[in-house]
Amino acid sequence: MLLFRSEENVDAWCRERTLPRRPLVSLDQLWRLALTWYENRLTVESRRPAPSEMVSIFAAIGLTGAFWDPAADNWG
Amino acid sequence: MNLDDTVKLEIYGRLAETGTAPTAREVASALAIPPDEAMAAFARLHQRRLLVPEPGDPSRIRMAPPFSGIETPFRVRSGGIVYHANCVWDALGIPAALHRDAVVEARDGHTGEPMTLEVRERRPLATPCVIHFAVPAARWWADIVHT
Repeated sequence: MLLFRSEENVDAWCRERTLPRRPLVSLDQLWRLALTWYENRLTVESRRPAPSEMVSIFAAIGLTGAFWDPAADNWG
Repeated sequence: MNLDDTVKLEIYGRLAETGTAPTAREVASALAIPPDEAMAAFARLHQRRLLVPEPGDPSRIRMAPPFSGIETPFRVRSGGIVYHANCVWDALGIPAALHRDAVVEARDGHTGEPMTLEVRERRPLATPCVIHFAVPAARWWADIVHT
């Protein structure tokens, strides 16, 4: 995933590569993901969330649909 | 605590303290274990997606998310140490993992314009930006270096 100053810059980046625009995430949403993934990463208990957990983690911050499902084989 | 967890804590502890990823030999030396045991633990931690070895050299670490074992365009300054992150998500993951304030130096993905993000008191400061996920979740680990 890449950081952009604006949505216009995302569109230009996609156009240059003839890639479809995919979901945009806000800084606050990304911070919540960073906390969920890494807040205890320096502890013995740390682990990566399981695929089944990821769907609910993403949904809790408004990221829903097949794109955010690690088990999906068709994300549209 | 089992060997894999001991090795994991050594890797992440070294990264947090120095910003630099240890090699399997350095981990073996620090833990007083044979190098092949450290290498085997690296491989198991890779299976658990807690590290990614350097392509072609499994004794070195390319990624121990959120940390990068090599320099990247996502530079994170915190506590007087310079870290490198694998992506913008991981750039925020470093202050999340360290429980410290941090300044992230990055660039706009299209224009290359320098951009700065700052995490202070467990929150990112408001900054005009968006994050574009080009790869769906089901494909993230198909080529995690690209993702």
